[in-house]
Amino acid sequence: MTYSDQKPKKEEKGILTDIAIYGQSGMTFSLSVLIGFGFGWYLDNKVFSGWTAPWLSFIFLGFGIAAGFKHLWDLSRKFAKDDD
Amino acid sequence: MEHPILFISVILDWIGLPVPHGPIGATFLEKLTAPYLTYSWMLMAFLFVVPKLTLGKLELVPGTGQNFWEALIGGLMDFFTEHMGREKARAIFPVLATFFIYIVLANMIGLLPGFMSPTSSLNITLAMTIIVWLFHHYLGFRQHGWHYYKHFMGPIPLIAPLMMLLELIANFARLISLSMRLFGNIMAKEVLLGVLFTLAGAYFAPLPILCLGVLVSIIQGVVFVLLSVIYCVGAMDHAH
Repeated sequence: MTYSDQKPKKEEKGILTDIAIYGQSGMTFSLSVLIGFGFGWYLDNKVFSGWTAPWLSFIFLGFGIAAGFKHLWDLSRKFAKDDD
Repeated sequence: MEHPILFISVILDWIGLPVPHGPIGATFLEKLTAPYLTYSWMLMAFLFVVPKLTLGKLELVPGTGQNFWEALIGGLMDFFTEHMGREKARAIFPVLATFFIYIVLANMIGLLPGFMSPTSSLNITLAMTIIVWLFHHYLGFRQHGWHYYKHFMGPIPLIAPLMMLLELIANFARLISLSMRLFGNIMAKEVLLGVLFTLAGAYFAPLPILCLGVLVSIIQGVVFVLLSVIYCVGAMDHAH
C-alpha cells in the first residue's frame, strides 16, 4: 500500500477514535463523581450503619472528583503525547 | 405507550409459553422468554447459520459470501492492528470482533418492525461490558504478571494509595459508562421509533429516525469496540 492511499484512511479512523474517547470523557467524569459519592454513602449508611454519616460520603465525594480530574489529566497528557 | 408487537413473543404465546408483560418476568421461565433474551438467541442462531450457509467451503477465489466475510473480518483485523500491533491484535481479536458483529447486528434488527434490539436492555449491555472489563484486566495480568498492579499506583510512591483509590473509581466508571452509553443510545432509538410509529406511522414519520438509527447502530457498535480496544491497549502497555 502506498503512502498516498494510506493517509486519508488513517485520518478517518482518527476521527472515530476521537469521537469514542472524548465522547466518553464527559460521562466518565460525572460517573467518577457519582461512584465516589455512592461508595462513601454506602460505607456511611450500610457498613458503619450511620455513625460516620455524613463524613465518609464527603470524603469519598472528594475522591470521586479527584478521580474525574485525574481522568481528564490523563486524557490531556495522552493528547499531548499523540500530538508530537 | 402501547408496547410494540414482537413476533417471537407472539409465537411463544401461541405455543403456550408464558411471556412476561413487564420488562422482566416474575418466574424463571418468564425470565427466559423475555423479549431481549429471545431476540438475542435468534441473533445467535442467525450468526451461527448465516456464515455457515454463505461461507460453505472456503475457496481460493472467493465467491460473494466469502468475499463479504473476508472484507469484514479483514477490515476488523486491520483496525485492531492499527491500534495495538499484530501480535496483540491476534490476542483480542476473537472476543472483540464477535462483540462488534453481534452489537451492530443487534442494534440493526431493532429497525425492523416486529423485532427489538437486545442491546436496548441494560442486562445485555452490562453483561457484555463486564466481560470486556474482566477481559482487559485478564490481559493486563497475562502481559505483566503481578506487576500489573503498578498500573494503578501512579508514578510517585508517596501518594500510591490515593492513586490506587482514584484508579479504582475511574475503573468502575468505565464499567458503567460503557454499558450505559450503548444501552441509552439504543433504548432511545427504540422508544423514539415506537412513539413515532404509533403516532404517525402511516405518514412515514419514523423515516428520518430510521435513517439516523442505521447511523447510530453502526457508530455505537464501533465506539463500544473502540473503547474496549483502548482499554485493552492501556492494560497491556507499560505502566507510566
